[in-house]
Amino acid sequence: MLEKKKDYHAWLYLLIPLALLSLFTFFPLFKTILISFDNGYNKWQDAFSFAFSLDSYKAIFNYPPFLRTLWNTVLIVFISVPLSTIVALLIAVALNSIKPLQKIFQSIFFLPYVTNTIAIGMVFAVLFNLHTGLINGVLQLFGVEKLNWINSNDGFFMGSYFRRMFVLQLYLLWHTLAFKILVFIGGLQNISKQYYDAAKVDSAPKTRVFTKITVPLLSPLIAFILITSFIGAFKTYDAVIGIFGADWNKTADIQTIVGFVYQQLKTDSVDSYSKGAAAAVVLFVIILAFTAINLYVSKKRVHY
Amino acid sequence: MYTEQQIKEQRKAKIISKIITYSFLTIMALVILIPFYWMIITSLKSAVEIEQFPPTLFPRQIVAYNYVEALERANLLRYFANTLIVSGFSTLFGTFFSIFVAYALSRLQFKGKEIIFTILLATMMIPGEMMVITNYITVSNFGWVDSGFGSRVTNGPYYAMIFPFMISIFHIYLLRQTFKQVPNELYYAAKVDGTSDWKYLWKVMVPLAKPSIITIIILKLMGAWNSYIWPNLVASENYRLITNGLRAAFSNSDTGRTEFQLQMAATVMVTLPLFIVFIFFRKYIMRGVSRSGIKG
Amino acid sequence: MDIKLSNLTKIFKDSKGRETRAVDHFDTLIPNGKLIGLLGPSGCGKSTTLYMIAGLLTPTEGRIFFGDDDVTDLTPEKRGIGLVFQNYALYPHMTVRQNIMFPLENLKIEKEEAKIMTEDMARLVGIHELLDRKPAQLSGGQQQRVAIARALVKKPKVLLLDEPLSNLDARLRLQTREEIKRIQKETGITTIFVTHDQEEAMSISDEIVVMNFGLEQQKGEPQVVYDQPNNQFVAKFLGTPPIGLFNGTVKGNKLYIGESAILTNKILEKTQGEVIVGIRPEGYTPSESGALEISYSFIESIGRDISLVSNHPESLTPSFRLIVADTIKVTPNSMKFNVKKEKCFVFNKDNGERVL
Repeated sequence: MLEKKKDYHAWLYLLIPLALLSLFTFFPLFKTILISFDNGYNKWQDAFSFAFSLDSYKAIFNYPPFLRTLWNTVLIVFISVPLSTIVALLIAVALNSIKPLQKIFQSIFFLPYVTNTIAIGMVFAVLFNLHTGLINGVLQLFGVEKLNWINSNDGFFMGSYFRRMFVLQLYLLWHTLAFKILVFIGGLQNISKQYYDAAKVDSAPKTRVFTKITVPLLSPLIAFILITSFIGAFKTYDAVIGIFGADWNKTADIQTIVGFVYQQLKTDSVDSYSKGAAAAVVLFVIILAFTAINLYVSKKRVHY
Repeated sequence: MYTEQQIKEQRKAKIISKIITYSFLTIMALVILIPFYWMIITSLKSAVEIEQFPPTLFPRQIVAYNYVEALERANLLRYFANTLIVSGFSTLFGTFFSIFVAYALSRLQFKGKEIIFTILLATMMIPGEMMVITNYITVSNFGWVDSGFGSRVTNGPYYAMIFPFMISIFHIYLLRQTFKQVPNELYYAAKVDGTSDWKYLWKVMVPLAKPSIITIIILKLMGAWNSYIWPNLVASENYRLITNGLRAAFSNSDTGRTEFQLQMAATVMVTLPLFIVFIFFRKYIMRGVSRSGIKG
Repeated sequence: MDIKLSNLTKIFKDSKGRETRAVDHFDTLIPNGKLIGLLGPSGCGKSTTLYMIAGLLTPTEGRIFFGDDDVTDLTPEKRGIGLVFQNYALYPHMTVRQNIMFPLENLKIEKEEAKIMTEDMARLVGIHELLDRKPAQLSGGQQQRVAIARALVKKPKVLLLDEPLSNLDARLRLQTREEIKRIQKETGITTIFVTHDQEEAMSISDEIVVMNFGLEQQKGEPQVVYDQPNNQFVAKFLGTPPIGLFNGTVKGNKLYIGESAILTNKILEKTQGEVIVGIRPEGYTPSESGALEISYSFIESIGRDISLVSNHPESLTPSFRLIVADTIKVTPNSMKFNVKKEKCFVFNKDNGERVL
């Protein structure tokens, strides 16, 4: 075999990329963790105080704005993800069952994927605008008074938390459908047609074919989508900025964990970096847990 | 006859099921399309028409000038240029480096190959947010960040936006998978012919992996085009990217209200390039997405 | 219940618009309660026909009748047929029990009754101990029995099997074809199975239908079809080793292969000139004064008989086989034979129809 060659030149290929990765990925990983444990870290001088403690963590878990973002993020994850997964599955199955116009529908459903999250978030803000939005316009047709969805301090009352969360969830649902639909269609096409033929011969009605054959055979893929979507949803940030804007004071009640982390970069308090790092580590641990679940589930996955 | 009745019922059921399916799909498609439609027509309405309630479903007067005004107001041309520079370099270098690393990991033999690969794989799941704080400190220390008085290093913000997130481990992983599908025999045959590794990479591997490479390039471009927070942190006014320019730029100081028609015009201009890429490269994008899904 | 196929035609159009006639104006009657083998080479249209009977493919032309009912437009769900797929198509995520119960649940049969029916059927096909396993844990033969159980449990009007033996190894094949025969006899359901292996079809069918080019070539009891083939194709298709074909001529009432007159028959007077002659391998009687001299290259001993790999200038194939009892003394390199007239067929050279 050819192994006896000098293998040093392989490292030439890796040199620059690995250097960059070390500097901007591996090193930050450790440093961020260290910062999170050092409440006395001085951000202006980039100096550790080496007084390692859990103070930063205690601080954020006693800090209502952080807890608020934690709660918001949890709501986002566990409402929008299962909902959009179910809707995506239904759409994928429907798409898979038609031949004419299938390509056109598929392209339409995929459109949101190529768009900028913030940009379309702003479009949603326009749609739900208190004074001039389409949604309120439609509601008026049904005799419903203008509702304040997302506006703030407009001389009117501030939109209720419920409505703001509703618009956010709706947007996330809209935006994340594309990816899921595409993956589900791929999965559906991998199911052998023979099973459907056998089901026909077995006199199975369409609903039973869906529940007893399609969904179970697709279940590994569904699990995968759910978990990776959970992980992605924990990192929600752009959507909030798009709809509500970047002003923390106005949007604090609807922000996410990531929003909190970024906000700490702009805050003036000396320990803000430690707090931000702690929040980032909390996020990391959550995502790690879900990744572990994903690995475990995929190990058990039987490929039919 | 019993069978005749069965056949009639069955035909009816088939038609109903088709109607339900198509209706469902049409409604969902409309839901998807409404924001796009609204975005476009709002961008073409006049400032007066924007204020109307209930809002008009089609502009009474098409005001294409909104686009010109939006460009001027928000310094959009500058932002476009910045975005092109940043995404261009980032994609260029990033793709090359992805090719190098993927090649080394898939084809070449060296001590520590497995370790490196495992580390990279593990790193894939770390959220970028973990790195942001430290990276911000790092690039500040390098003098790349403009904290109000200009950055110490000229064009620092460009460097700050290009280098930290240039390497995408996910893309390396994708490419490695593709490279691995090239049969070993080709490599051995080339070696016997005296081909160097470098030559093999560019003469054999890359041409064979062209579809995947195109997918990576497009995904990278899309990612750079849509990035918001990092540029927002490290870039000052002149270096900002298009995403940054959108939000705040269109508040009318008189009314304190946002001028939606301009904002939407800007949004259309930001969305359009990606849209065009989508039309031409739809296959590559969709394949990259479903690969990442099915691979798991 | 009889099955009648009337003028059945299936045309496939590929993406370029080219047409393939898989089944071409096929007419046949499948009698009630019998085990019928649908036999033919690859691409002859037999699987297509089976799938049309099942309702999974729609005929381009023609009608299908179950008894007196025209079921051509009826969906498979409503036809009450059982189908055993070539790859079994067992639902991989369900246990054997759930697989078998599936059709019963769809037919809204009571859970308790369905359970009993499942157990009875499992016993009938011999997989009772496997009811709680999943298909992936079963061998090929076992999977097939589950497929058969699933097809039969709903007491279908007709049972269809698509190449049931082709996925099994040789040893299992013999065993399984007996099983199929046994099960069919016990249940009495009209059964049609599709195969390209003529030996299989011949061994268990009550009747065989030989197909080629989407058409019925011949139908009847296996032995009858073997002994009285309608045409050259049927004669060539049935029989192991295959029939030997020769160029021959008819002059007057005599049949000649080369210069040797091997047969005399008044019927021959109607057909003069060049013909194709078919002689079954077992149709040769060695004789000192034999009409036909045949040289052979080597001897295959197949146990109870001797098979001579032979050649002849007028033979259509480079070699053919000839079977004689092993008590016969074989003279080296060539022997003389007489032809048994019931084993000799004369075919029209143009259309292959049998003349004698």
